[in-house]
Amino acid sequence: MSISTILNKFDIKHADIIKKYQEEGKKIIGCSPIHLPVELVYAAGMAPMGIWGSYGEIARAKEYFPAFYCSIVQRIMEMVLDGTLDVLSGIMVSTQCDSLKALGQNIKRVYKEKNIPYIHVAMAQHRKIEPGVDFNEIQYRKVKAQLEEISGNEITDEKIEEAIKLYNKSKVLMQEFVELAAKHPDVITPSWRSIVLVNANYMDRAEYTEYLEELNAALREKEVVPWKGVKIVTTGIITNSHSLNEIFEENDMAIVEDEVAQESRQFRTLVDENTGNPIRALAKYLGDIEGCSLMYDPDKLRADMIIDKVKKSGADGVVYVQAKFCDPEEFDYPIFKKALEKEGIKLVMIETDQQMTNFEQARTSLQTFAEML
Amino acid sequence: MDKVYTLGIDIGSTSSKCAIISDGVNIESTHIIYKGAGTDGMDIVVKEALEDLNMEPSDIKAIISTGYGRKSFEAADKTMSELSCHAKGASFIFGPIKTIIDIGGQDAKVIRLDDNGQMQNFVMNDKCAAGTGRFLEVMSNVLHVSLDDFGKYDEEAEDKAPISSTCAVFAESEVISQLARGQDVRSIIKGIHQSVATRVAGQAKRIGVTPKVAMTGGVSRNMGIVRALERELDVDIAVSDNSQLAGAFGAAIFAYEYYLKSMKGD
Repeated sequence: MSISTILNKFDIKHADIIKKYQEEGKKIIGCSPIHLPVELVYAAGMAPMGIWGSYGEIARAKEYFPAFYCSIVQRIMEMVLDGTLDVLSGIMVSTQCDSLKALGQNIKRVYKEKNIPYIHVAMAQHRKIEPGVDFNEIQYRKVKAQLEEISGNEITDEKIEEAIKLYNKSKVLMQEFVELAAKHPDVITPSWRSIVLVNANYMDRAEYTEYLEELNAALREKEVVPWKGVKIVTTGIITNSHSLNEIFEENDMAIVEDEVAQESRQFRTLVDENTGNPIRALAKYLGDIEGCSLMYDPDKLRADMIIDKVKKSGADGVVYVQAKFCDPEEFDYPIFKKALEKEGIKLVMIETDQQMTNFEQARTSLQTFAEML
Repeated sequence: MDKVYTLGIDIGSTSSKCAIISDGVNIESTHIIYKGAGTDGMDIVVKEALEDLNMEPSDIKAIISTGYGRKSFEAADKTMSELSCHAKGASFIFGPIKTIIDIGGQDAKVIRLDDNGQMQNFVMNDKCAAGTGRFLEVMSNVLHVSLDDFGKYDEEAEDKAPISSTCAVFAESEVISQLARGQDVRSIIKGIHQSVATRVAGQAKRIGVTPKVAMTGGVSRNMGIVRALERELDVDIAVSDNSQLAGAFGAAIFAYEYYLKSMKGD
């Protein structure tokens, strides 16, 4: 099968994915953002589906949030209010940043009237120490009980273990895909790279894993064509905008690595398998995550991790995609900039939001950056 | 040997600038028209520049377009960002420089160059009119003073009215309040210039300001802004009658390099 035929399997409209789940009689649980215990949803026989990163108008959400509020969060609220997410059988939101905390409470209020269960995932900030893992385990047991009630299915340890193994398998394949994409930017363009990685949040994970195995196998066989453009590493919360990826392509910029929440951050850490207590393994996973702006990290390892990625991938520079009014990312930027400048790594920051229709400033910045590199 | 003519066109948000050069170094013709992206300004300015030299479009060996409307100029062989073109053009106008402040109609950019005139770093303003030519246009309308007179009024001012807001919309209300209180227009203009300078200087300091500093873009014609920036950054800022044409010059020089490369078959 050709690479383009396999790639097309990943290019599915979210509405079609929902329709498929509905036809299969599968309940859907909306999840925002990353690092949630999606394995528990899967083990309950339901479909976890990402609900963050959509683009469009923000109107009614302004009744709940001020204008200078994270637009990723505002878009989720808009979809809650306009009924887009009414197809869900439940919605799971974590407390990883202040904006998400308020989002969860607002959704809880709105969904009470719509009779859609809200699943609150409180995460301990001190996630690496034993009491933190204990706290997260207790929270996950509460989440498990809620998911059992929604699905009507018992979530056994065996089923959770199976889900962990499936998700780990797909994560390893996604890590390999990132390496293969860096070798073949002529076919895995920034747009395709984004579609493949981001759609993991929507598609059935078993099906997704099967497709990714096929894709990686085809890419392994493909002859490497020397890349004449520039190579970049991207970082930020989301880079799934079609317009943004088009700008990368127009300027012959290949994404050879990323440190993006919606991409590598979701699969670079695996959950421990065969521990005998899979719920605790999921809780421990939160403590194993490094360098994510959404997780408390007193050592701020993110910059060092990116520097390492730049050196290993041979990238020419880094593009920091700042989601407008995302404060955890804004707090990281000065630390990040200083560290990269010390290493002599070129960096450009562009700001995006979920209502953007005009990308001219980003276009000028990225074209200049490509010319400079 | 025949001269090689190349053309650079800088299509900004409020004006279009065209330069035709020969052999990558000689200025042959320049034109500026105050009609920017989305208008027929780009066609007019090219037509006028060609007419000056009694030339046909086919006499031009390569064309590079830059500026906000660069994608809309179909005759271009290539587009380049205005920052790269301003860096190139400013080095052409001013000789070796290290920092360029380019304030145009709708954005403000600061570019840092290395010893070889290569762009080392840059910073652009966000989607905000503060610190841009648009901000000054709004103020010009409120005060009923032509932008061309802003520099002169600034020089005549005895003091400087405080304009605290950097938001164009809020600053407009602030200026109206100052007028209502009977504040002298000259002082208000000086205060407006200070407001822009503070904003742009903050941006410049993010990437560092190293002399020699030059200013390009349409706003460089306003000496009130130049002086305010000199005070704010504590450096001398070079300006030229050709400052507004820096982007077009840079594009024309890049077009010459592009032509040489295409001749070599690169």
